[in-house]
Amino acid sequence: MFPELNNILNSTPDSFKPSDFILVSDRQADASFLIHHYLSFYLRAGCKVCFLGLVQSFSHYSAVGQRLGVSLAQAREKGQLVFLEGLKDSIGAILQEESSQGTQHLSYLRSPGAGLKGLFRFVETSVSQNGARDDGESWGPPVLLIDDLSVLLSLGVTVGAILDFTLYCQATVCTELQGNMVILVRCEEEDVDDDEEGANLLQRGLVHQCNLALHVEGLPTGYCRDIHGQMQVWWRQSGETMYNPRKIFHFKVHDKGASFFARGTSSAVL
Amino acid sequence: MLLDVLQGAEAGGFILIQDTVKCTGRGILKCFINAALKRGEDVHVLGFEASETEVCAGLDRSCVQKLHFHKGFPDPLGWMCRSSFTVDQLTSQHITKLIKDSQHVKAPVLVIDSLSLVLRHHDPVVISQRLQELRKGGDVKTIISLLHSDLHLQGVVGIVSHLASTVISVAPANNEHHAVATTTRRTKSGKVMQEEEYFSVSEDVTLSVQAKLRPPGHVQKEQKVAEADPASNLTFNLRLSEEERKAKEKVALPFVFSKEKKSALLRPTPGSGRIMYEPDANDDFDEEDPDDDLDV
Repeated sequence: MFPELNNILNSTPDSFKPSDFILVSDRQADASFLIHHYLSFYLRAGCKVCFLGLVQSFSHYSAVGQRLGVSLAQAREKGQLVFLEGLKDSIGAILQEESSQGTQHLSYLRSPGAGLKGLFRFVETSVSQNGARDDGESWGPPVLLIDDLSVLLSLGVTVGAILDFTLYCQATVCTELQGNMVILVRCEEEDVDDDEEGANLLQRGLVHQCNLALHVEGLPTGYCRDIHGQMQVWWRQSGETMYNPRKIFHFKVHDKGASFFARGTSSAVL
Repeated sequence: MLLDVLQGAEAGGFILIQDTVKCTGRGILKCFINAALKRGEDVHVLGFEASETEVCAGLDRSCVQKLHFHKGFPDPLGWMCRSSFTVDQLTSQHITKLIKDSQHVKAPVLVIDSLSLVLRHHDPVVISQRLQELRKGGDVKTIISLLHSDLHLQGVVGIVSHLASTVISVAPANNEHHAVATTTRRTKSGKVMQEEEYFSVSEDVTLSVQAKLRPPGHVQKEQKVAEADPASNLTFNLRLSEEERKAKEKVALPFVFSKEKKSALLRPTPGSGRIMYEPDANDDFDEEDPDDDLDV
């Protein structure tokens, strides 16, 4: 969890906005540090977390989580964390003769054209099961974390199917259960013919649906040793307000966190 | 023109609101719903993308019973089998049946939020045909729809825009509290009118049009700061006195061909060489002066 980012977004594990759909995107940079931030943030807040880890193994997140002060293994044992290990389960799903009950959620691997209904059912059951904690109380509002969604595009799933899936997830997790959702999408370079099916179309569709969009890019002036990139924060209130403020911050990723500062105020410069 | 479209809503019209990620059009859509409710018309809303609470927030409480919200939103595709209206049910038969079930006195207004979800799942040509059937059928007075123009191919957006009698595109303005709406209206006679206006939507869902957009040149003129006099505050003198200015105007510039110079050149000076030319048989001697048409 990054305290400076909490200040910027005005949220702490004790008080954060419910029913929030947060979109994390990047273009030629790596925004996965924000996923680690949100994972430790919501585990500390005592929420029931459903994590679809489609691109890394559980031990990867566990190792980073330990540096940030949360133990994923413990959370999984207690039932607070439901982790879908996409890489490991995919091999089982592909090598089986026909899709059995256990791999229904990965049915898009065998028939990508059919859509992500199975994956949605998995998400639905994970967030609805509200087991009790050790002290008898139930977990906080459910949270869905996805890392990352654009990998499904390279597996053959259409942009329309992914947008339907996220719409259903938002309806279930955010609107009905008052929980939060954080999704990572990786974009391609901006191109002139940008209405073709691709990651940029997917990102635009998700920005339409989301409440908060964090976009990570490299510095426009080039590589810098002390500033790893810039992050654009776009507050999109659903409603009639025309004014959706946008702010740009610079950041630097350390071993145990990341520091954020306003443009031009890096300690290397001042 | 935007306010006229808002109050007018002529029969058989199809109003299309186009938005992008930079500026959302749902605010204007809600203004249209509110305006129709205040006029006492029945409004059927097919909500696919946003929940009922979100769409109905801020609408006029007194006319709420005239608003019929068909819940597509939590389940617009029927995955959970608990939706009252799915995307596949956007056909003229279904809509007609819905309207007849509600037993209205006059034809109601149909609002679709949004058409982007419908176009994701059905062929645009089929959807266009269905919308046209609804318009001509007479069961629906006006159709108002929201479309996210940056989520579709340009051709698809073009197909739907062509069907519409009025297209309103929203874009952000430099001013934070307003946005720009470009309204293109096609009358029955075929005349096309276009106008750009600043607008904002208040909390009680009323539209206020701020000002007509001026062409960009004028806006820049007003923003320019008064220019400073460059000849002031210098250690040397760049200004001219009256006598100096008169003398300057009297000076004959060397390469300007004035009347005195022309006559001086044309007068033959004594002692200058004379040219005697006798054309022989091969020469083509033309008596005309080739420089006659010069305006010197």
